[in-house]
Amino acid sequence: MKKLLQPDELARDARFSRVDMAERFNDKRTVNRDVDGEPGISSRNQRRLSPDTPGASDAARSLMHGIFVGEIQALEGAGRTCWDFEVGAGEDKVPFELKLDMARQCWDESRHCEISIKLSEWMGTELGEFGESAFLFQAACNADPVLRLTGVNRALEGLAIDVFNTMREFGKVAGDPVLEFCEDWMLADEVTHVKMGSDWLRRLTEDNPERRERALEFQRVVDKLFSLGGARGENDDSPIKLARRFRELAGFTNEEVDEIAGLAKEAAEELAARQAS
Amino acid sequence: MAKVTVDPTEFHYVKFDADTIAQLVGEVADLVGLPADALININIDESTPLGRTVLTSTDPITLSIEGGAFENAKAPRELSERSVRDVASRLLFRVSDRLSGRFDDAPPEGEVPLPHNVAWDVHSVGRSARAGINVSKPRRLYHFRNRHGFNDVADAAFETLWNADQLSWAELDALVTEVAAAKTPA
Amino acid sequence: MGDPRTPRAPFAPWDRRELPGKFDVEETARRVGNYKWIEMRLFEALGGWVATVPELDVKLRLGTHCYHHAWHAELWHKRLPELREMNQDRLTLPANDAVVTFMDAVTEPGDLEQTIEKLVGVYRVLIPHKIAAYTYHLNNTSSITDAPTMRSLRFAIADEIEDWRDGEMLLQSLLRDEGDVQRAATHQAKLETLIMKAGGITGPGSIGDAYDIGEGR
Ligand SMILES: [Fe+2]
Ligand SMILES: [Fe+2]
Repeated sequence: MKKLLQPDELARDARFSRVDMAERFNDKRTVNRDVDGEPGISSRNQRRLSPDTPGASDAARSLMHGIFVGEIQALEGAGRTCWDFEVGAGEDKVPFELKLDMARQCWDESRHCEISIKLSEWMGTELGEFGESAFLFQAACNADPVLRLTGVNRALEGLAIDVFNTMREFGKVAGDPVLEFCEDWMLADEVTHVKMGSDWLRRLTEDNPERRERALEFQRVVDKLFSLGGARGENDDSPIKLARRFRELAGFTNEEVDEIAGLAKEAAEELAARQAS
Repeated sequence: MAKVTVDPTEFHYVKFDADTIAQLVGEVADLVGLPADALININIDESTPLGRTVLTSTDPITLSIEGGAFENAKAPRELSERSVRDVASRLLFRVSDRLSGRFDDAPPEGEVPLPHNVAWDVHSVGRSARAGINVSKPRRLYHFRNRHGFNDVADAAFETLWNADQLSWAELDALVTEVAAAKTPA
Repeated sequence: MGDPRTPRAPFAPWDRRELPGKFDVEETARRVGNYKWIEMRLFEALGGWVATVPELDVKLRLGTHCYHHAWHAELWHKRLPELREMNQDRLTLPANDAVVTFMDAVTEPGDLEQTIEKLVGVYRVLIPHKIAAYTYHLNNTSSITDAPTMRSLRFAIADEIEDWRDGEMLLQSLLRDEGDVQRAATHQAKLETLIMKAGGITGPGSIGDAYDIGEGR
């Protein structure tokens, strides 16, 4: 079996269809934030999820499907980290215990997929109903294990914390006992995964500030991409709200969360500029 | 078959085809049972990926559609024939209800309260399913529960709405009132 | 297959409960090091395969089983220093070169059309051999001096049997015509030959010697 798989090589059954990121970026259609409309099928709703808006349930279904395929990619990313790197001391190698953490994460993400599948059924969503973008897995393609772990476990898994917290709140407000239950459990695991990323980043770059800076820079790039054109933010009406408290539990400092909030702002401005041009 | 016009006739933001949409809506109008000489206008705002759909008028029948409502969720900017049938049948059953006299007491479109809108849609989509249109009952149920509560009373009302062939506004209003009473405050 | 009339021991080598303590500390550590090496190769491959398998149920089972074997590797890793090997890496080894050849062949299939080969390698060849070697070890070691190893072996065997059943059932459900059955059988025969040449996952004597009839029996 080869090492270092690319996003377009991820194996899926015929129900799933891959959406090209370039296609999404080239989409010139704009979203009017002030309209209380149904979210449309493209999952780009720009308002906070609330059962009081007409399209909330379809927006939740679309977001939940995005989470589901994200869980598959997180599983695949953790699995590939088990396979791609040998145990050892060099920069292209990893400690034995790091691999054990990744294997544990495989199990967790498998359960998250199972939860997501049951939840999809509960929400009336067919598997593969929405297109899948492989942009999350992109973070898992880095050949430097520290950069990969920082991209996956701090950026991707950090996004998962924000999304799960948002969905848990939505479930609570809507009175949906199943949604709230599922998000609560997944959120607990994701905090663990982000903490793994924070801990390994610290341990593996203890004597190598230059490598640590490279990893943090990679995280900034990934975090900006994961700001989803500003859909993630700190405002009360942000569709995905930065979950400060859970991020702190997972080893983020206050300044680090501030920085992500700043990146989200930049991403929103860049999207607006692209759509205006 | 009803005469359907689609505006615009050519699309730039999305890869829709006006003739295909007109053909599909015409077929759906027949399934819904609208008169063969009915005139139906479809106005599409292709510049937004959102999916709001509005019955703007029953005379002439006019549907205002945001492009996202007809979009293929698996392939951005592509037309989904299933979505066109789904949306058109839901709105055209409402047209047929409004023309029947049974919904004369209903507020005008735009003023129908959200809980009633959601309930009315269930009534329409249930009939779409029986007319042979490929709609998703679980999706509607989830939508209904989000609005009306995750409880047995709401689920029973959903089944009534879904299975009924000819409700009146008064009957629909009574069901909405019943589920509202059962819903625990959020 | 040899002559079926060749005499065999009336008590099989793995049924020796009344004579415990077949392994000294050094041999136990050697075996435990082999176990850790095998468990690592296995969990790494299962993790790697997850992304290459299109069947959703198989993907999720592999992700789950990946952790089981990582945990076994951790148990063996922690046992080694208790067996006087403070540098675990020194004993985290394959039993012989033929075991490496075998594991390379097990983990070789990488294409998305090769789910059958992937599952055959793990669930019809490797895991049955692990269950065999672990069982042999469990039934032959001293239940007094080596109780910690036995405890880990029992946990591992319980997982292996559960996982074997999972994998075998997935495999049965994937074999849908004669061609599939043939593919599975051919691959199994190839791998079985390799592990036979290796003598099992800890080399010759992995499950004792069933033809050792001893003296005067
Ligand atoms: Fe997850
Ligand atoms: Fe995770």
